Amino acid sequence: MDQHFIFLLLGLANGAVFAALALALVVTYRSSGVVNFATGAMALFTAYTYSFLRQGELLILIPGLPVSEHIGTLSFWPAAALAIAISAGLGLLLYALVFRPLRTAPPVAKAVASIGVMVVLTSLMSQRLGVNPIAVDPILPTNIWTIGNVRVSSDRVWIALVVVAFAFALAAMFRFTPFGLRTRAASENERGAYVSGIRPDRLAAVNWMISAAVGGVAGILIAPIVTLSPLSYTLFIVPALAAAILGRFQYIVPAVLGGLAIGMLQSEVTYLQSQHSWLPSSGLAELVPLVLILAVLVVRAKPLPTRGALIQQTLGRAPRPRRIALTAAVWSVVGAVALAVLQESWRAALVTSLIFAIIALSLVVVTGYAGQVSLAQLTLAGVAGFLLGPLTLSWNVPFPIAPLLAALAAAVVGVVVGLPALRIRGLPVAVVTLALAVALEAIWFRNTDLVPSDGKDIGGPTFLGIDLRARVGTDFPRLPFCLLVLGTLVVVAIGVAKLRTSRLGSEMLAVRANERSAAGSGVHVVRVKLLAFAIGAFIAGLGGALLAYKQGNVTFDSFTILVGLALFATVYLAGITSVSGGVLAGMLAATGIVYLAMQRWLALGDWYATITGVLLVLTVIRNPEGIVGPFHSLLERRSKAQAPPEPAHDGLRAVAPLPERVREPALSVRDVTVRYGVVVSVDHVSFDVPAGAIVGLIGPNGAGKTSLLDALTGFVDSTGSVALAGRLLDGLAPHERVRAGLGRTFQHIEIYDDLSVLENVGVGRTRRGAADLGALLQLVDLVEDAHRPAGELSQGRRQLVSIARALASDPQVLLLDEPAAGLDTTESIWLGERLRDIRDAGTTIVLVDHDMQLVLSLCDEIHVLVFGSLVSSGPPELVKSDPQVASAYLGGTRAEQPTGVA
Amino acid sequence: MAPLLECRDLRAGHGRVTVVRPIDLAVDAGTVLAVLGPNGAGKTTLLSTIVGLLPRQGGEVLVGGKAVKAGRPDVAGRAGIVLVPDDRALFGALTVQENLRVAARRTAGIDEVMDLFPALRLRRRVAAGSLSGGEQQMLAIARALVQQPRVLLIDEMSMGLAPVIVEDLLPIVRRVADESGAAVVLVEQHVGLALEIADDVVVLVHGEVALRDRAASLRGDHARLEAAYIGGSDLFATTN
Repeated sequence: MDQHFIFLLLGLANGAVFAALALALVVTYRSSGVVNFATGAMALFTAYTYSFLRQGELLILIPGLPVSEHIGTLSFWPAAALAIAISAGLGLLLYALVFRPLRTAPPVAKAVASIGVMVVLTSLMSQRLGVNPIAVDPILPTNIWTIGNVRVSSDRVWIALVVVAFAFALAAMFRFTPFGLRTRAASENERGAYVSGIRPDRLAAVNWMISAAVGGVAGILIAPIVTLSPLSYTLFIVPALAAAILGRFQYIVPAVLGGLAIGMLQSEVTYLQSQHSWLPSSGLAELVPLVLILAVLVVRAKPLPTRGALIQQTLGRAPRPRRIALTAAVWSVVGAVALAVLQESWRAALVTSLIFAIIALSLVVVTGYAGQVSLAQLTLAGVAGFLLGPLTLSWNVPFPIAPLLAALAAAVVGVVVGLPALRIRGLPVAVVTLALAVALEAIWFRNTDLVPSDGKDIGGPTFLGIDLRARVGTDFPRLPFCLLVLGTLVVVAIGVAKLRTSRLGSEMLAVRANERSAAGSGVHVVRVKLLAFAIGAFIAGLGGALLAYKQGNVTFDSFTILVGLALFATVYLAGITSVSGGVLAGMLAATGIVYLAMQRWLALGDWYATITGVLLVLTVIRNPEGIVGPFHSLLERRSKAQAPPEPAHDGLRAVAPLPERVREPALSVRDVTVRYGVVVSVDHVSFDVPAGAIVGLIGPNGAGKTSLLDALTGFVDSTGSVALAGRLLDGLAPHERVRAGLGRTFQHIEIYDDLSVLENVGVGRTRRGAADLGALLQLVDLVEDAHRPAGELSQGRRQLVSIARALASDPQVLLLDEPAAGLDTTESIWLGERLRDIRDAGTTIVLVDHDMQLVLSLCDEIHVLVFGSLVSSGPPELVKSDPQVASAYLGGTRAEQPTGVA
Repeated sequence: MAPLLECRDLRAGHGRVTVVRPIDLAVDAGTVLAVLGPNGAGKTTLLSTIVGLLPRQGGEVLVGGKAVKAGRPDVAGRAGIVLVPDDRALFGALTVQENLRVAARRTAGIDEVMDLFPALRLRRRVAAGSLSGGEQQMLAIARALVQQPRVLLIDEMSMGLAPVIVEDLLPIVRRVADESGAAVVLVEQHVGLALEIADDVVVLVHGEVALRDRAASLRGDHARLEAAYIGGSDLFATTN
């Protein structure tokens, strides 16, 4: 028992640091929406600054200047104060230069930028200060306290107390001061802040200084206990993220207590694994934050509270690959010639680049296409790499099968990594994959039970008598192996390019753009996400296997999380949304061909990581499509200038009208009620929609029209029942209702600007729906725009794209939510004609709109919804003359006025 | 005398999409302009652009004859333009008092504004999120008033509120215009109520001005209004 207690107390010191960093994470996130992965690196910088100041040196990280400037030895308080002031300045600088320009960017882009900052800071410090740990004199009293039989050093307790005191002081400041009040207000509602005369960006700048200072305090205090080294401090971020998640990135005190608890638990499990031989000898400590993160994010499945920001930019476009066969052939020849011509270290660097290009392509699939930020792709490559040893040497699996099996195993692990993404989306996926990667590395790759300290040997590949080994004697890398790598890359690249143009690829982009609208188009979101993770992991696994073959012996060094993060940075930098970006990322990757050139010719190899990080941050701010983005735009403009206008489809046929209208109502709504908390938004609404009709649903704002559509399509929980041509839909998920034949569009058109019109419409095809897309485009008069990106179209045509996408599932009933919003009168009339054509082609329509002219001229029957209840139903002439309707539309009291309705 | 708020050739929209085609508006001190029109006509976009929450696509906004920089809510705020947004954008976790303190130019202002809304004074320690719809709307207006606006923009005040409550709130808007001399722009869907307190009326349809007149001359003449609303169709014709 006493031993357990000692280890729990020992963990207090680390716990205090996690707590302080979690506190910094919460403060930064609340004020600016940035999950700052660089928090640990910033604390390390402060700690270094402090330790240099104590020796009379002012640390200067800027390359080209001396590492430090002598300013005379400082005692504790001045040194600490100056270091913390410098840290706050760094926070302000980062906000002003990086995160303020990104304030309207999606959270994922902000997080990627912070990863860039982390890479820059870590590599600058490793480069200028070396990786050798630096010891710092004790700051807090180190008496030995004896409690019963337990003896513990007092500094562990003191550091925890200091951090807790800071947490309560900050919590009180946010609670009671005007600054705190404004910060809370702005973090809850940015729009409200603006209309209250507050400037959220100024508040964010101050909060960044506070969080940098708090992280700095922790960095200084822990320095005497954990010696200073870039790796250990940077990775403090993982348990700190877990603690911040415990505080839901909102609450300071739970985050701080969570941090302390994680530190203590880690210490305890480290003790346990030394006591029990059946426990793995390493990695349990890294499991603690992972388990906590999974428990909170996945089991509770609550998203991080989003901040009510004003506008959101999209991620970069994912351009359609062109002339895949030709491109592949040309680059295969170029690659083969280069491999044959280059010798020794140059050839080795090129083959490394080719392998990293394969792993980078896995990120293109998972992140670029499907929008899931996975920080575990290199770890997944490692899974295949480490499995290849036993597969080839213990079980003698022959060549093409062994790496494929290893990659398949990686795919299985990849699906497991992706499982949490089914319940969470956006940034938490990045956090979970990071924690998983760290845990996997500790519990497997670095575990000497599983991997001998001199690495795991790999059996050399031979195929049909050809020796494909990378190294024979001093001959390295051998050409046959290099060609094998090139061939694999070409196959993978073609596959990834084909995926982009396939139906699954469109579905991935749909999920990336908006999961809700993807589900509304009949996309099975869960399946698409898992496939993306599986395909991505399989590709990463192939890369990992090749890397293992190349080295002949695998150690954890090749697959560490820091290398993985740097690779992620490189891919994002090169262009994470396209095949060319992925391949370029391979060229740019550490120890690859460009790296070698930088080292040989410019002597810049040591600065490689720093430069990558800086470029990454600039890329996120300037150009989300990466380096290759501008080239794609250029190509697109050129091909548009050259290509003659697409001729209309030849084989278009008119859509046959339904042979016979069924007597049964197409849609039957009974007693549907929607409650949000205590508010009843839709109150026992019942009506029937006859087959082949256009039925209007009108009512003032806030009457519950959209809530009713959401209820019918399964987007909100409701009571009552909905039947489509006699088939009950109750309890079905949105995409299942779409497949059953109930299509819908959204009030805010949720089409995918990245995709062409044809691809947008194609997303809507389901297994049931075999709608001929050519005929469909003709029906809605979009044939000429078929191959234009949807983002270029006018508002009216965008509406038609979203309607056509809903029609692609061949719905029996189509629900339209304000299709005329934002259209001028001419466009609205044109839209009405298209809707009539659609009805004549056999689709029953329910139309919600405020454009009275459109509704009155088009609908066979109109229902009027006021305060969630139907107040009037009937043909247009009847509804027009209903006084309740007039009153609902032109002011509530009009009906009561003597001059008003009779 | 020059109008207190003036918009010249103002074009507004989201990204590439233009929602409000070039429009001219002029509102004198102490008067209320009602902006009416069906949903999607661009009323909210217009107000958001005037207050700088959306970038302008063209044209000028002037307060007291001085041009106001586009797309900068803080600059518009210093010029005295204050918006009551349609979603109210309250700080739900903060109390009534705190919501007002966040926005107040001076603390004494809070008390004066509370005089207009005695119901709020009673609930000053309640979280804004727990207020009734009507009280929330009062708080949204009060939060705008403590900023001592010269130009007050109110978007869809009646959204989700029962007509009785709106009938209580609108006279307060009239009083604010009369007593503080602010220029008020009121976007409203309860046409009858809006006409009662407004001085001037503009009807927007599909982002264009379909009708512009004195409120007084429209009060007895709903037919013209309805015609403008629905683009000349005969909705409600039988009822007049």
